Amino acid sequence: MKFLSIIQLTFRESFAKKTFMAFFGISTLICLLFIFALNLDIVDGLQSSVSIFGKDVPKLVNINEILWGIEAAVSVFLFTGGIFMSLFATSSLIPSLLQPGFIDLFISKPISRFEILSGRYVGAVSIVAFNIFYMVIFTWIILSAKTGIWNWGFLLAGVMIVLTFAILYSLMTLLGLISRSGPFSLMLTYLILFFSPLLLQRDKIYALLSSKYYGYLLDGIYYFLPKPSELGNIMQQLVRGIAVSSWMPLWTSLLFAGIMLAMSGYIFQKKNF
Amino acid sequence: MYAVETFELTKYYSNGKVKALQEFNLQVEQGKIFSLLGPNGAGKTTLIKLLIGILHPTKGRAQLLGRPITDYTIHSRIGYLAENHRFPEFLTAAQLMYYYGKMSGLEKTILKDKIPQLLKTVNLEDWINVKVHKYSKGMMQRLGLAHALLNDPDLIFMDEPTDGIDPVGRREIRTLLKSLRDSGKTIFINSHLLSEVERMSDEVAILKDGKLLQKGSVEDFTSIKEQYQLRLQDNQTSINEICIKMNIPLSAQNGLYTIAVKDTVQLNRLIDELRKSDTIIQAIMPRKISLEDFFIEVIEEKEEAEN
Ligand SMILES: Nc1ncnc2c1ncn2[C@@H]1O[C@H](COP(=O)(O)OP(=O)(O)OP(=O)(O)O)[C@@H](O)[C@H]1O
Ligand SMILES: [Mg+2]
Repeated sequence: MKFLSIIQLTFRESFAKKTFMAFFGISTLICLLFIFALNLDIVDGLQSSVSIFGKDVPKLVNINEILWGIEAAVSVFLFTGGIFMSLFATSSLIPSLLQPGFIDLFISKPISRFEILSGRYVGAVSIVAFNIFYMVIFTWIILSAKTGIWNWGFLLAGVMIVLTFAILYSLMTLLGLISRSGPFSLMLTYLILFFSPLLLQRDKIYALLSSKYYGYLLDGIYYFLPKPSELGNIMQQLVRGIAVSSWMPLWTSLLFAGIMLAMSGYIFQKKNF
Repeated sequence: MYAVETFELTKYYSNGKVKALQEFNLQVEQGKIFSLLGPNGAGKTTLIKLLIGILHPTKGRAQLLGRPITDYTIHSRIGYLAENHRFPEFLTAAQLMYYYGKMSGLEKTILKDKIPQLLKTVNLEDWINVKVHKYSKGMMQRLGLAHALLNDPDLIFMDEPTDGIDPVGRREIRTLLKSLRDSGKTIFINSHLLSEVERMSDEVAILKDGKLLQKGSVEDFTSIKEQYQLRLQDNQTSINEICIKMNIPLSAQNGLYTIAVKDTVQLNRLIDELRKSDTIIQAIMPRKISLEDFFIEVIEEKEEAEN
């Protein structure tokens, strides 16, 4: 109950700052644009061409595959756009919690500091989950209704987007706690978001390194940091319904989130307000 | 068990450069209105923040209602009005009270009755459904007060509770706090408004530079020992002669005589003499100074001692 009220208050704040509505509006707009301007024509065209060439059953399997491929592409778009928007929309929630006079009220209640911070974190993730699932389910229903092919795997895109956001938000929580600045933590998180995919190419620069220890260091950084682009790949494989090649990016990223949250919890516990 | 008890409680800021509270020991009894006085920067807010757990002590420890301050569950019995509280401005008073009430662990059904009732107590009944950002400073303070009473606390901390509130409102708040005290609650107030503190407090303590200078009842601080004021009927009295004879310093102002006796025995002897000379005594009362005079005296003494 007490925990829930912190989450509700976080929702309220997001509503009041209009970020929630902006997020929701943009999600709706993207869905509409995507569905009506692009995908359906292609899918309709494919289906009609298939029906013209007639009762070829293996062809139908192909349609499934093609549709699922299109859905994977859509999910990547939702993933990229969704993560960007989500981080932006929630960047101020931790610093605003720390405002003098505001945090005092929370601490004076019979709730632990741990509950306060995790309530805020879960609140932010719930806000994002609400919007992302709205976007994903909306897209999914229209795509599926038009084609008659219901790819349940597409819904896993929502899970992966929210999970990736939750991982990145753990970093933003820590940065927000340390810097008390929304824009600062947002920029650093975006930096990690851009920087971490580059590490995938690190074997290309190994030759340039003066010592093999720099190589180990790069490896270490790679395994430590969250891997949003690879999480996007896992999502695509899930949407296409093919076997996931490696879960390593997911569990190492979750481990990173765990470390960030533990550090945030510790810092928040020790902080003087 | 004390409502508040601190043991060598110490808080340094900026790596020890600012000593906001130094080995501070204090006991506050239950069922009293206790006021902490002190000049700006004395460490009053620091003390309350330490007790609530908003700050962590550098050294020492403290207890609220017999439980260590590190135990946040005791907050269910504590009310807190912060010095500069900042409420979410996008909420109405009712919504705000609802969320903070739930955070205190109160049930929805209880809150439904309690919220309008409390807002009425602080005269905000017409503002229940108005967003907080439209409130004036005094209204914000009233809301803070109502919010601090939501969980029916046994111990209430108020950092400058009447700050920004008009005189009528202040009187109402004094009455409210006294009635809370009479129902057994302990009220811990930080204040600069000495006349106000004098009117409602049972006990006061004076803090300066993070150290306790004085602690006692308002009565003790404001009455001057062995000085009395006498009101006599008519002015054709022999008090002057009697005092000269008994070697008692005497002064008169507005028909009120002030005497400084060695002890109560001497006071009674004086009364005997006056009665023998057929002087009619209307009243004898201990001479009082205002809490403000006492406060300034203590602070100045301290400053002189330092120089
Ligand atoms: N966060 C902080 N960092 C550094 N110094 C601080 C901090 N907060 C308070 N201080 C210092 O600690 C001392 C005590 O401050 P405190 O706010 O407790 O005083 P106060 O008695 O409440 O004063 P006032 O009557 O003005 O409210 C002051 O010297 C103040 O400058
Ligand atoms: Mg203060």
